[in-house]
Amino acid sequence: MSILQVNNLAKHFGGLVAVKDLTLSIKPGEIRGLIGPNGCGKTTTMNMLAGLYKPTRGDVRYHGKSIVKLPPHIRTAQGIMRTFQIPKLFSEMTVEENMMVPALATSTEKTPEFIEALENKATEKLTFCKLDHVSHLLAKQLSGGQRMLLQIARGLMVEGLELFLMDEPFAGINQVIKETIMDAIMEMNDNQGITFLIVSHEMSSVRRLCQTVCVMHEGSLIAEGSMTEVANDPLVIEAYLGGQNAASDS
Amino acid sequence: MNKTRKQFFLTTVGLALVMALFPMWLGEFYLHVVTIGLFYVILAISWNLLAGYAGQLSLAHHAFAAVGGYASALLFLYGSEALGTPLPLWTTIIFGTIFAGLVGYGLGSVCLNMRRIYLAITTWAFAESFRLWVMSEYEITRGDLGLSTELLFDTSDPTPFFYVFLGATALCLWIVFEIIRSPAGFYLRALRDDEEAAQAMGVDTVRWKRFAFTASSAMAGFAGTLQAHYIGMLTPTPIKFNEMAIILVMVIAGGLRSFWGPAIGAMFIQVLAEALRDYAEYRMVLFAVMVLAIMRFYREGIFGMMRDGVAKLRSQPIRGST
Repeated sequence: MSILQVNNLAKHFGGLVAVKDLTLSIKPGEIRGLIGPNGCGKTTTMNMLAGLYKPTRGDVRYHGKSIVKLPPHIRTAQGIMRTFQIPKLFSEMTVEENMMVPALATSTEKTPEFIEALENKATEKLTFCKLDHVSHLLAKQLSGGQRMLLQIARGLMVEGLELFLMDEPFAGINQVIKETIMDAIMEMNDNQGITFLIVSHEMSSVRRLCQTVCVMHEGSLIAEGSMTEVANDPLVIEAYLGGQNAASDS
Repeated sequence: MNKTRKQFFLTTVGLALVMALFPMWLGEFYLHVVTIGLFYVILAISWNLLAGYAGQLSLAHHAFAAVGGYASALLFLYGSEALGTPLPLWTTIIFGTIFAGLVGYGLGSVCLNMRRIYLAITTWAFAESFRLWVMSEYEITRGDLGLSTELLFDTSDPTPFFYVFLGATALCLWIVFEIIRSPAGFYLRALRDDEEAAQAMGVDTVRWKRFAFTASSAMAGFAGTLQAHYIGMLTPTPIKFNEMAIILVMVIAGGLRSFWGPAIGAMFIQVLAEALRDYAEYRMVLFAVMVLAIMRFYREGIFGMMRDGVAKLRSQPIRGST
């Protein structure tokens, strides 16, 4: 059974159709890429999957059950976490406090011993994401790459995390941090069986991480397959390069 | 007991013990000034919980004090009349507190999707509507003529009232401390910093917004009930925006988002306002300039200055030492 099944999902903003009849299925333990030119509806899709946008129509099923009417915090409590393209951190809170928010919000136990265990877990995850040396800083004091790393580290604090939705995790960050993020994704996938849906423009990173890639264009899914397959798909070439360029190239 | 909690209790108990001696040192007038100062301390710390910690810029906090005061006074008046015997004041005080909390819950629910200026305007409109209601429903509230209220103690000496306000302030400080040290404190601050991210991190933002409104309004209502049964008279004047501006000035001067800052700011402004009484409305001009200066040069307010000053002194080597 798929961990995530999206059926005929659509989102309209007034007369603008951002996503139309999107259908896709992700298996547990997969690292799936979602690519497409700017404005094709990738982030809108992520927002609908995370519950921040209400779809105009269609259904989202998580472990076979519809979650389309669930608010974002319930989806998170069920093991779905997301990161944002422009990192959304709690800027006036320390890095360590940022880590504690999802941990506390998604666990039912609140005893001092349990909170102490969460603090230890936060230290461990910060070390894993190479942020332990900045744990005492305010989130607003971090660099762009560190912010992105913190978003990922924060996701690891969710109790029972199963599906990680990442929106442009490699955008605007240096190669060293990019490698750290990729290592973290592979480690989480291999050792904890976490499923990923990654929206990215970084084709090399997508190629390295994702077994299957979905391509969106003008709100619709136009191709699905391995990176090599989709890269040679005429529809994808046309979407990225435009009809005329595609024609002249061929 | 962890270190922070221990520090809080030691500081609060220490301050309360020192202040408990005030009736021996201060005359009736200055004791009255400090008692009113304690009323403002409760308003300032509870508004800081809502605006400073949860980021909900409500401009109706002064109205919640009045809601509590009128609820308690009217229940005493009409309830006692209906029962044929005076209601115990503690019951009307509890009623006023709960009623203000419920109205806060209602206002918080109405404002769930509003942020910043929209929230400020809506809450200000609520406060103005309540003031106009009090003025126009004079058959119930006696409007501008003022509603006489039963006094907590049958004396003109402010001493027993002072002790009640001192206890109430310590109680509210403790409540706010426990809230911000608990997971709720994390949720409120997350909500303030980025509501969308808080939702995505599993925080039920609807619930915690309502909680912030309810808790802060109940505390303001509590202060309002005590004030009503101390002064002995309720009028619509304290529901004017001036009163909210005073609370704002107190919190910003003391240090928005800090725990002790608003309490320090409230007492400082109250004492300063009394010292400058001869200058009447010019005091507000001075306070406005003070807020501008703090926002421009030192956003952490008086508390931030004190904390940084102490830190600087500690970091300086003692003269003569190597």
